[in-house]
Amino acid sequence: MASILPQLLNLLLQFIDSFGFLVLSAIGLAIIFGMMGVINLAHGEFITVGAYGTALSFHAGLPLPAAMLVGVALTTVFGLILEFTVVRRLYGRLLDSMVATWGISLIMIQGLRIVFGSSLPSIGTPLGSVQYGEFSYSTYRLLLAGASLILLAFLYWVFTSTEFGTRARATIQDEEMSRALGTDTNRMYLLTFGIGSALAGLTGALYAPTMTIVPGMGSTFLVEAFVTVVVGGASVLAGTTGAGLLLGFINAVFSNLFGTFAGRMALLVTTILVIRALPRGITGLLEDVRGGT
Amino acid sequence: MAGETTAGVDRTTSDGALGRLRGALEGPNTLGRGRSFWLGFTVLVGLLLVYPMLRSSYYVSNTAYLLVSAFLGLSLCIVWGYTGIFSFGQVAFYGVAGYTFGIVSINVTGPVGTIAGLLVGIAVAGGFAFLVGYFMFYGGVSDVYVAIITLAVTLVLNTFMGQTAGEEWAVGAARLGGFNGMTEIPSLAIGVGNAAIEITDAAFYYFVVGALLLTYLGLRVLVNSDIGYVMVGIRENQDRTELFGYNTQKVKLGVFTFGGVLAGFGGVVYASWGNYIDPSVFGLTFAALPIIWVATGGRKWLSGAIIGTFAITFISQKLSVFGGQYSLVILGALLLFVILVLPEGFVPQLARKIPAALDRASGGDGS
Amino acid sequence: MGVLEDQSGNFALTGIQKYHAQKLAVEEINAEGGINGQEIEMISPDPQSDNQRYQELARRLINRDNVDVLFGGFASSSREAIRPIVDENQQLYFYTNQYEGGVCDTYTWCTGAVPEQQISTTLEFLTNEFGNDIYTIAADYNFGQITAAWYRKIANEVGANIMNEEFIPLDVSQFGSTINRIQEADPDLLVTLLVGSNHASFYNQKNAAGLDVPMSTTVNMAQGYEHRRFDPPALANMYVGVNYMQEIPTERNRDFVDRFYERWPDADYVGQMAQNSYFTTYLYKKAVEKAGTTDQDEVLKVLDEEPITVEAPEGTVTTDPKTHHVTHQIRLARADENHEISFQNQQAVEPYWLRETPYPGCNLASTIGASEDEHTQQFQPKGV
Repeated sequence: MASILPQLLNLLLQFIDSFGFLVLSAIGLAIIFGMMGVINLAHGEFITVGAYGTALSFHAGLPLPAAMLVGVALTTVFGLILEFTVVRRLYGRLLDSMVATWGISLIMIQGLRIVFGSSLPSIGTPLGSVQYGEFSYSTYRLLLAGASLILLAFLYWVFTSTEFGTRARATIQDEEMSRALGTDTNRMYLLTFGIGSALAGLTGALYAPTMTIVPGMGSTFLVEAFVTVVVGGASVLAGTTGAGLLLGFINAVFSNLFGTFAGRMALLVTTILVIRALPRGITGLLEDVRGGT
Repeated sequence: MAGETTAGVDRTTSDGALGRLRGALEGPNTLGRGRSFWLGFTVLVGLLLVYPMLRSSYYVSNTAYLLVSAFLGLSLCIVWGYTGIFSFGQVAFYGVAGYTFGIVSINVTGPVGTIAGLLVGIAVAGGFAFLVGYFMFYGGVSDVYVAIITLAVTLVLNTFMGQTAGEEWAVGAARLGGFNGMTEIPSLAIGVGNAAIEITDAAFYYFVVGALLLTYLGLRVLVNSDIGYVMVGIRENQDRTELFGYNTQKVKLGVFTFGGVLAGFGGVVYASWGNYIDPSVFGLTFAALPIIWVATGGRKWLSGAIIGTFAITFISQKLSVFGGQYSLVILGALLLFVILVLPEGFVPQLARKIPAALDRASGGDGS
Repeated sequence: MGVLEDQSGNFALTGIQKYHAQKLAVEEINAEGGINGQEIEMISPDPQSDNQRYQELARRLINRDNVDVLFGGFASSSREAIRPIVDENQQLYFYTNQYEGGVCDTYTWCTGAVPEQQISTTLEFLTNEFGNDIYTIAADYNFGQITAAWYRKIANEVGANIMNEEFIPLDVSQFGSTINRIQEADPDLLVTLLVGSNHASFYNQKNAAGLDVPMSTTVNMAQGYEHRRFDPPALANMYVGVNYMQEIPTERNRDFVDRFYERWPDADYVGQMAQNSYFTTYLYKKAVEKAGTTDQDEVLKVLDEEPITVEAPEGTVTTDPKTHHVTHQIRLARADENHEISFQNQQAVEPYWLRETPYPGCNLASTIGASEDEHTQQFQPKGV
């Protein structure tokens, strides 16, 4: 082959792209699931709210970064309201939370369609492209991948170095004990759900300039988010990162070599195999390797 | 705790055989017992049998079509409600059976072909369930991970079947049709040659109602039997049940396979009704529907599954006709309401309220 | 009149346009006295972009409401889901969408454009203009695969060369690897047969990656109005062979567009499919008036006897009794860097392929009216 280097670069970029997409899709869901045991089937719609918030403020005249902040803020508020009214009653009821959030999802998708119509005008992708050989890649998408890494690093810092993070981890490990030790677990859950929503909103805001803005856009993230969370296992950070790496790699390689259909199938099949081989996800694997904590 | 108390059970039957039958059909794992219940049940069956004479053929056929989904709902009820296996994939077996029925009945023409299609379809669905179940349960997968694997399997089928559009994707004379679906699937017909009765309209109705009744009664016997207790035991606490010496993996596999067979039967009948099947049966939306039906009705009870399925499919159909744009919103709101206010489903609530109300009405002697 | 158009769900974007256009036609006709003095009653439940709903509602409309004519369906799968029901009940059915072609059904009339109409006149022009190397990306299902096969067929006829075809599942929305492959192949012309909102993201991403190549399509812009929804220059140099777009500058069309927005001020766009529904309603009116009755057998006979013309916003449209399709005014529409639309090469193109002998050999006019001996199936191009 004439030039291996650009091909490898292609693969690398696609891998980073895929990794970023998986991590950003999953992180909000992972926090909510990992910390509260709630499966939020409306996660895709949270992302949609973030995207809609961003698009609407952008078209109302705000510059893009500000519009994104609006999108995130909107989603956070929305998530907090939802937690207060609905989700609060569903803690520990894993499967009921699935059904309830599915109901919320239905209401939101059709509700957005009724209020805003079938499509919003899209936002152009900023920042142009970068050339290498005969290929070019969107600079913004590189940024997205970078954003996912920064986000993971930031969350790691929060979880390990702040008091909030410590309390949060304590609550995940043993709720009763941490309540006994003085943590207001209800407030903890509210905050956590808020953070999870904010992250979902961030994903929507970040991806809004690359996609069409339609009410059903969340579904494109949902399956990826779920498989990443489940393959990752209970640990929010290690799991999501590990799953992002593994699944992103598989998706990129298969898509590159055999086309997007193969990439999609490979992703789903890998999920099935990993869950079978590692019943507690990648987190389980890491724990076993480390000698079990 | 599984189910009602045994106070107030009417044990005054004198006839031995009937008593044994009643004994098999009743138990703490199903709702409804006693003379008044069975009386009411018989009245209901009578009404069902008479229904086609009261309404035009469209309504009869439509009601039967709504009832077909009950097989799918029951399959999830057995697997999830009674055994605690949260499967997102019952629709995969439904769809696989439907497609198999199409393939067989198009290739083997005539009524015999359709019956063969029915049997092969159910067998393939069951076999597929067996494979998936073996893969999962003997690999130690449980809880939400079962949901994800079954969902992934369903989506793989969705993606795969959606691109089988070309001529090369045909099994014999039956083209898979890709996204456009498989058309010209013949209806089930019982009999031979020209003397066969095609299962459409009124015949379809009686076929579905009859099958549903038999299935319901059969499942009542199953869940109230020893195996039923083991199933519930697995649902409540799998480890403890294992410690008691039961081979939980085997039971789960068996139940899951049987669930696949039930769902498969539903799929075959659906394909026969519409003479058509397409990959949307493997889609995310449709995969979530049985969960919604069964959760709303009451997943731990057979009658809950049937009534819940019928109620939701009926309401959502009505909404699509009259609700216009709001139908999905209303459906979502209904789901939320049920989960928050009636988490066990509305059928168990009714089951408690109705006998209490009847008691009060009859003077309340507390029997 | 039974109308099954998606007012919610994935296909609502176009479904609602069609519903609105049809309602406009019905209201106009009723305002002028209806058909043969009778007002049209339009019954339009919402199939929610769900094929099972389509089946249920088709049965309801046919068996309970006894509609005299059935319109509707968006995705080909929804049409295929209800065709068995239509055939079983001998119901007159109009499918007004552009689709992959090939339906030869004695009870069904397809009034949308088909590939041979949209591609045959446009591909030769494009390859002469830009070059012979073509790269195709298509949605990975029937419509995409068959239309891609059509591009192959016509490319052979005009001497062009299809370098590669890529089929993309409908739920994919991230196109990084696809864009890289296109860049590597460096084609003269990119054929895009993308369907659905997930796929529409391709244009944005292609733009962001700086990929600049002329594009040909039969399906984008005219229904999903991507040129309005995306910022320029995402769709720059996009050519679509189409019978109708809102921007057609004829006076008749200006008038139609004005009336449409007057009736539906919140509408986003009136596209190809919507216009099809509109003129087909008038077509039905003409057929019923000719037959003197709404009896379905009689109307089917009238439609088979001889071609009927309708003055549609796109121009003059004529029915073809042999194939149960219509002759369209096909134009080549182009979006420039600012997404301004210009048109060229207008010609009337007949739906010639189904008539070809020995295959597919569809001749539904051999028996006037519907007949049990006539076809009820869909053909695909062979050997391509």
